Amino acid sequence: MLRLMAKRLLGTASRDIPSRPLQILPRLYHENVIDHYNNPRNVGSFDKNDPNVGTGLVGAPACGDVMKLQIKIDEESGKIVDACFKTFGCGSAIASSSVATEWVKGKSMDEVLTIKNTEIAKHLSLPPVKLHCSMLAEDAIKAAVKDAEAKRAKMNGTLKGADVKSG
Amino acid sequence: MYKMMQLWTPLSTVFRRVLPTTCCLASFTANSQFASLSSHLQSSSRVPLRYGLDFSPYSKISLLSFCSQSAAKLDSTTKRCWNCLAEATGSTPFLYCDSCRSIQPVDLSIDYFKIFGLEKKYEIEVDGLEGKYKDWQKKLHPDLVHSKSEKEREYAAEQSARVIDAYRTLSKPLSRAIYILRLEGVDVDEEQTVSDPELLTEIMEIREAVEEATDSQALNQVQSRMNEKLEETSDSFANAFQRRNLDEAVTCLCCSCNVIMGSTTLRIEEMITTDV
Repeated sequence: MLRLMAKRLLGTASRDIPSRPLQILPRLYHENVIDHYNNPRNVGSFDKNDPNVGTGLVGAPACGDVMKLQIKIDEESGKIVDACFKTFGCGSAIASSSVATEWVKGKSMDEVLTIKNTEIAKHLSLPPVKLHCSMLAEDAIKAAVKDAEAKRAKMNGTLKGADVKSG
Repeated sequence: MYKMMQLWTPLSTVFRRVLPTTCCLASFTANSQFASLSSHLQSSSRVPLRYGLDFSPYSKISLLSFCSQSAAKLDSTTKRCWNCLAEATGSTPFLYCDSCRSIQPVDLSIDYFKIFGLEKKYEIEVDGLEGKYKDWQKKLHPDLVHSKSEKEREYAAEQSARVIDAYRTLSKPLSRAIYILRLEGVDVDEEQTVSDPELLTEIMEIREAVEEATDSQALNQVQSRMNEKLEETSDSFANAFQRRNLDEAVTCLCCSCNVIMGSTTLRIEEMITTDV
């Protein structure tokens, strides 16, 4: 018993740095997520009734997240010139929708439909439990594009009708 | 004869199940009807005929008809205690044998509603659940079977866990709704995105109201609005389920989910506001 204590004392004396207790690493949000949360880009609302604005409203029953993503379409080129979002949910959901608004700007509507939730998740290093947030963002983009296209089709329809009438 | 042999093996397994293992293993008294059979069996497959049964009352024909019944069918029609062979009374679910006071193995055909003696419908008397739950645990709890066999201790652990699960599922309206749909074969995927614009707009408005609320009174107003909405969705779910419109029922469920989550946020906000 004494020998053991002596050994221990000698051991601590020889070592410069005391041994650290076992650390349990906490699960952290990736810095990209924290950045988007602290410095949110494109938060806001467009006028829902504007014919050039497409609104995507999606929700996840499991966590109660609600995500609204709006895109402004340029009439002539059909490209997305501006985007904004409003999300009620966890940090990952907010970051996912924020990233989505950044990525859709300057792209055409067909191009943004190719944005995959896996890309968003990879960019934010989302853990498996938060993958559904990125899925929600992808669904929001698709819903917004669908709404914008429906509005454009409706507008074109009315215009065509007007042409026929006048012509 | 070969056909008879094929039928014999299932019968022996049936009796192995039905009869207690502690039954006296008296030598098999082969009567004239089975002498030829046993010799046949001994030559081909060594089926141990351990049970001391006298087959003389049974005629060959009746035994054949008995054999032709599948073993599984026999088990479900006459539920018996594994310990004392007492038959299950029809009134209470057979989780526990009152004659010998031994806990029975889990029977998945007894659903949660049957455990609590309730009709399989969404609207139930939640007040009576706790009493029945405690009554069951007085019989099934693992603490009561420390001195019994390992098998029975296992049964106790599984049965009491199932009763706890049943109690928790049935006491909350949302989990009860999801369960009752699952019994009908409809699995509600909560991970699926909801895109009903009307519902989501309303949820969005509620969330915005919570954020903009300046004092607890405003929050209370939102809370009461949420409770109203929850009751509405609960009623429409019950309605849809009664009419067996399961798709509609699922939609109502998703509404409920969203509202419940929203109200949870509300409570958190309330706590934060009152602290300040």
